[in-house]
Amino acid sequence: MSGTETNHAGYVHPEVLVETSWVADHLDVPAIRLIEADEDVLLYEVGHLPGAVKLDWHVDVQDPVTRDFISQKGFEQLMSRWGIDNDTLIVLYGDKNNWYACYSFWLFRMYGHTNMKIMNGGRQKWEAEGRPFVKDVPQYTPTSYKAQPMDESIRAYRDDVAAGLRDPNRRLIDVRSPQEYTGELIHMVNYPQEGAQRGGHIPTAKNIPWATAANPDGTFKSAEELRQIYYGKDVTPDKDVVTYCRIGERSAHTWFALTYLLGYPRVRNYDGSWTEWGNLVRAPIEKP
Amino acid sequence: MDRQEAIEFLVDHYENPRNYGPLEHAQVSLSGGNPGCADIITMHAHFDQEGKLDAIRWEGEGCTISRAAASYVTEIVDGLTAEEIENMSFEDLIEQLGRELVMTRPTCATLALGTLKKGVHEYRMKALAEKTE
Repeated sequence: MSGTETNHAGYVHPEVLVETSWVADHLDVPAIRLIEADEDVLLYEVGHLPGAVKLDWHVDVQDPVTRDFISQKGFEQLMSRWGIDNDTLIVLYGDKNNWYACYSFWLFRMYGHTNMKIMNGGRQKWEAEGRPFVKDVPQYTPTSYKAQPMDESIRAYRDDVAAGLRDPNRRLIDVRSPQEYTGELIHMVNYPQEGAQRGGHIPTAKNIPWATAANPDGTFKSAEELRQIYYGKDVTPDKDVVTYCRIGERSAHTWFALTYLLGYPRVRNYDGSWTEWGNLVRAPIEKP
Repeated sequence: MDRQEAIEFLVDHYENPRNYGPLEHAQVSLSGGNPGCADIITMHAHFDQEGKLDAIRWEGEGCTISRAAASYVTEIVDGLTAEEIENMSFEDLIEQLGRELVMTRPTCATLALGTLKKGVHEYRMKALAEKTE
């Protein structure tokens, strides 16, 4: 089951993407589970793809006390609730260029689920093509899902980031907006300007806003276009790459593009991101 | 309201917007926007001879939360004076809309009320100026 239509884009791992047409043709396949992960918390209820379940980032995958994700056991319970077993093909999609879908992909991958794809273009493309949305909330028979211990090779912590500040082979990518990178804002325009005590960026970080990897229709740019973007900033596959934003969700989109579409072997997402670094006492900050 | 009830409350306002459309003889007509979300909301209002709001409509485009909030705001201002509308609290509105849901988008959630308050303030100042003349 592969979305072969994306092969032409020259991606290193085209198998992680499926096109909307492929999803439309596989809506009734029991071994496939569609998961909608949105930034806009109302969209699933407004309408979703037939058979899709809702991943609510605020309640489903966050530890309610500690700033961390749900535990391995919590992840198993979540998968079970959605009727997902270890062989289920998960297809993630969402709004805003699949921003939260990629964030989910990154988290699920840490817990060992490998049979996963992103629906290229997400909700935006599905809707633009006039494909159906439904309001029915599906119920699935619980499974006995077994997750793996968290694979932290794709996750960076603040100490990793700090330790690499003088490493010439390390590349930090700040995927936030230019206004956040320069410290003019500490969140996106029209979002609460809170969450960090200081503005600016981590020293040595290059600013490559996450959405530059997406086309206007929400799909990913071709491999050649992506290479031009990242090579142009000296972010090449031979480097250790760490991506960050504000809480790690926008940067997961860049992590996905570099890891799968361009095949970079060492990319980590720093989910502590600016809401951690911008609050750390004496953490070095660059600000023009 | 629990989280799911709050979602359904907002979705209902989004899908069944109250008081949507133009308003003839509006004394207040003001547009406000959030460029980041592409929200543009226009609030229209009319006051009766006792100075109480007797008609309100809204128009515009925007994200789910800004549209749902605009619809809700038109329900809660009926019968209020201009001064009472100006004194309405954004915090109270966010609470009524479901703080947990809209706290990440406060500018969207408060766009309609903020626009209405500004429009009503201009209307009141103009009326005061005319009175003193």
